[in-house]
Amino acid sequence: MHFAIRFLTEYHYDAPVTDNLNSLRVRPATTSTQRCDEFHTRIEPEARIARHLDYFGTEVIEFGVPTPHDHLTIDVRARVVTSNQPDPREGSWESLRSASYTDAAGEFALPWQDQPTIAGLEDLEAAISAETPLKTLERLCQVIPERFEYRPGATYVGSGVDELLRKKAGVCQDFAHLSLVLLRRMGIAARYVSGYLWAAPDDAASDSLEVDTHAWVEALLPDADEGGEPQWVSVDPTNRRLADSSHVKIGHGRFYADVAPVKGLFIGGATSTLSAAVTLSLLDPQSGAKP
Amino acid sequence: MPALDAAPVRDADAVYRPRPPFLDELFERDGTPRPTARALVAALAQLGPAGLIEAGRRRDAIFMQQGITFETGGGDGPTHDRPFPMDLVPRVLGGAEWTSIKRGLAQRIRALNHFVDDVYHTREIVHERIVPWRLVASCSHFARAVHGIRPPGGVYTHVAGCDLVRHSDGSWRVIEDNVRIPSGISYVLENRAAMARLVPELFASYRVRPIDHYPQLLLGALRAVAPSAESEATVVVWTPGPANPAYFEHAFLARQMGVELVEASDLVVRDDVLYMRTIKGLERAHAVYRRIDDDFVDPLEFRGDSLLGVPGLVRAYRAGNVAIANALGTGVADDKAVYRFVPEMIRFYLGEEPILENVRTYLPSDPEVLEHVLGHLDELVVKPTGESGGRGVMIGPHADEVEIAQMRRLLLAAPDRWIAQDVVELSTVPVVDADGLLVPRHVDLRPFAVFGERIDIVPGGLSRVALEEGSLIVNSSRGGGSKDTWVLEDGDDADRAGPPIADTQPPALPDLRYGTWVAQQQQQQQEQPQQRGVRCPAPRR
Amino acid sequence: MLARIAHELYWLGRNLARAEFTARAVEAVLQAELQGASDAAPGVSFGSGGLLAMLGDDHGQGNTSRTLGQLILDRERPESMLASIERARDGARTVRDVISAEMWQAINTTALGLHRAGQPGWGTPAGPFLASQYIKERTSLIWGIANRSMLRDEAKCFLDAGGLIEISDMVLRMLHVAMPPTDSPPADGTALILLQAVGGFHAYLRAVTAPPNADPVARFLLFERSYPDSVAACVDSLHEVFMVADAGPRNSKPVLRVSRLAADLDFQRRALPEGSELTGICSETRQELGYLDQDVAERYFAGAAAAGPRGEL
Repeated sequence: MHFAIRFLTEYHYDAPVTDNLNSLRVRPATTSTQRCDEFHTRIEPEARIARHLDYFGTEVIEFGVPTPHDHLTIDVRARVVTSNQPDPREGSWESLRSASYTDAAGEFALPWQDQPTIAGLEDLEAAISAETPLKTLERLCQVIPERFEYRPGATYVGSGVDELLRKKAGVCQDFAHLSLVLLRRMGIAARYVSGYLWAAPDDAASDSLEVDTHAWVEALLPDADEGGEPQWVSVDPTNRRLADSSHVKIGHGRFYADVAPVKGLFIGGATSTLSAAVTLSLLDPQSGAKP
Repeated sequence: MPALDAAPVRDADAVYRPRPPFLDELFERDGTPRPTARALVAALAQLGPAGLIEAGRRRDAIFMQQGITFETGGGDGPTHDRPFPMDLVPRVLGGAEWTSIKRGLAQRIRALNHFVDDVYHTREIVHERIVPWRLVASCSHFARAVHGIRPPGGVYTHVAGCDLVRHSDGSWRVIEDNVRIPSGISYVLENRAAMARLVPELFASYRVRPIDHYPQLLLGALRAVAPSAESEATVVVWTPGPANPAYFEHAFLARQMGVELVEASDLVVRDDVLYMRTIKGLERAHAVYRRIDDDFVDPLEFRGDSLLGVPGLVRAYRAGNVAIANALGTGVADDKAVYRFVPEMIRFYLGEEPILENVRTYLPSDPEVLEHVLGHLDELVVKPTGESGGRGVMIGPHADEVEIAQMRRLLLAAPDRWIAQDVVELSTVPVVDADGLLVPRHVDLRPFAVFGERIDIVPGGLSRVALEEGSLIVNSSRGGGSKDTWVLEDGDDADRAGPPIADTQPPALPDLRYGTWVAQQQQQQQEQPQQRGVRCPAPRR
Repeated sequence: MLARIAHELYWLGRNLARAEFTARAVEAVLQAELQGASDAAPGVSFGSGGLLAMLGDDHGQGNTSRTLGQLILDRERPESMLASIERARDGARTVRDVISAEMWQAINTTALGLHRAGQPGWGTPAGPFLASQYIKERTSLIWGIANRSMLRDEAKCFLDAGGLIEISDMVLRMLHVAMPPTDSPPADGTALILLQAVGGFHAYLRAVTAPPNADPVARFLLFERSYPDSVAACVDSLHEVFMVADAGPRNSKPVLRVSRLAADLDFQRRALPEGSELTGICSETRQELGYLDQDVAERYFAGAAAAGPRGEL
């Protein structure tokens, strides 16, 4: 699929602030199933922009506004072409212990540090456990949305998995975090993915949508053949399915904080109001760009 | 025995008795002084118990008055200041012995520096399967935020303080590496100054190598790595503030180097350059000797709730506009689990055999090792990997059943957060007890190395002594004391201060902070949009 | 010099001066009231009530002696002398390496002395009087030690600047309370208390031939440059310290403002005939000092004081 993405974030401060430093992780990644063709960032008030790739390979855009200002606009535009991921293979549980799997998994197989033991995880683990890691992944996509309500406002950006379990409701960020905890407990390496999602129903007439940034997970599945390379499989527990070309990946990390789209700090006693909007437009794949 | 007659005597039984199998550094097993210590023991005898008690009284008064105190207590209990307990009997090291320690340390520190660089860049040692990547990635001090950053001069471990112990066979072993923010050097320097004032007669028959050039070594190293093209680099010492237990040392070093002692609110990053706020406006700072943990240095990159940090510091660092000493992320090299691999690192990076040995270490993250450790808890020392200062350490032979059972539970719950080591037979040295008599106490040694253009190690270091009989815990935060450490001038001239490092400014007055300044610089988190995601209106199957 | 350190020194100076002048005023007023020149006396407005008003207290009614006691020793109230001393001690601890060890000790000892609940007699009706005397003596001692033991460098300049600006402000506050802008001329009894409150009684007698009546006393406290605590003398000294501390005094707002103010005071002294109304010049000067405080914060403290003022002029 071919998308135009606009991610507009605006902060208004009720008193002037200074030294407003921010880092953005908003640029769509270029991967084997995705290509970012164009990318622009506009900051208002104007600021010098620096870019680098972080530890996880996500592009970070950094800027700072030192002088007093009462608003900040971050306007990001991108154009992306995506394709579906190849069908995942059906490796065995035993292959999770192979050296090639362990190497590829790296730190994404480590238990989530500082995550307290939370009541209810065993239950969930039993509910998703299946003959193969892939089947477990598929069960996970069913069980989480069945047991937890998708309800914006139930949790906040800093919520932990325990809060989701307690409230039985949350958003995609929480669903992704819970998936990570469960998969890693079962020995499957998993990482948090931040991105955008084209969420229009098939019959939708509109070719433009207002959405929020989205989150899902990638799980490392062993190859069906002994000795084959394991493969990262993208799965969206919020939408009960494996991810596909409607998912646009920005980057991945151990959890949300590693790929938070906007992080910032400023000096001043002001309170701020935030408005953030992501607009996805579907561009005709044949004729290229639409106006 | 002549030495016994010479030693301070309370009654016939009050003789100095070394405690075999432990090696005593001043006395032979039979209680006679070792050759290098003869004159010292005689001078101590001359002072006598009364003289030593009197000197001790003067010492406490001076230390209290100068504010050379250390906070004790720790944990949740109340803390209080007490004079840092410096014992009046110096520890004596021969020149040749010191040379070998020094070479061993320089070798080790060079390897640790390589390791830090490797971990944040190519990871060769991981690809060669010498150090497992999961071990590195699970270090609590592994700093992903500085991945790919190479600091000015390629130096990471500007100040290193490795803890050494002397085994009963006489060999020196490294028990712990400290390459984050090792502290204690101010006590080394203050101890020497105090000794010269309190008991000058002890120095009479010895030529002791000087140590007072340390601040100049440090300043020289910081200037050497500071990215300042045009003019002389501005160096600052960054303290978390007067509430920090090592604040005295921060102020001391700033004063001795003649540089500003800054806190976070004095610093600001603009366009990837670090400045300090002065009465003349912003002034650039090129090198920061920071005495604050990675976690707190930059709330944008590390702990977001840190109010002690300077937002944007990592940007300035990444842009190569400021040197931070020690570099960010060095904690991977002094992790207690990584410690086990340091001898391999020396072989791998330097192609040399380690001069200083490690203490045998077990990593319970391996299930087989865990089993062994659980079977020998009463013989081993178990330490948490992410802590320093002796917190959480269990010494098997000294632990009761409850403690061992507790340790077993902790190990089973999170085996990768602990290491186990053989018990080291720490050597003993004589200390003056409350009656002015000499009694043996266990001791370790933390020499301080400064890495700028080259590695310099001031002769001796901080000798920490356990003040309780038989105790092996020497940490100052846990009731340990210290000693002046003498390296004798006996032929080996390698420690002579080299050519002058740099002109030194007369000490400007450093400063402390309190009160409402910080509140006035209210720092806030930008609100983060939650990833609320989207739910497709009609799930497609 | 770090802006933070300069800022702490400046406020150390202000807090010390505030405590000292509060103590002087309290002592003078109490003494006057003991001698019968109370609020009840017609025309006299510089009594306990006036004093409380001057220090920003709006509930000065009721039992004034108890209120005065609170003014001195109630740590919870920011305008109390104890709070001023506490703030001074907190500030001094921060700049311990910059001020002299002796000075730190003197400040610390003063604060500890105020803490000691058992200061003999402080609980009695004479308590406020005794406590004021204590603070008056201690602060004089601290300033003496500062002058003798501190280098005359930037650090001392900022300490002095804080002290000077606070003294001028306190004197102006007292003048404001003692001589409200009314048609009736201020009572002369007030003038005497005022002189005693500032501590300039003997200096006045030596410098001025006229009896200590309202007008000459006010002129003395405003314009007499040879009396160190007069507004004019303080402004002169402020000019001196900023000339030393400022890296570029030629285009420095604080320096320019303070030299304008000095010139203005000098002009007014000559232009205003004896006996003329002084409230105008008083309030103008106070306003200028307020601006000066802002200028100082902006120029030297990197805007530090802008976000949250710790005290007001």
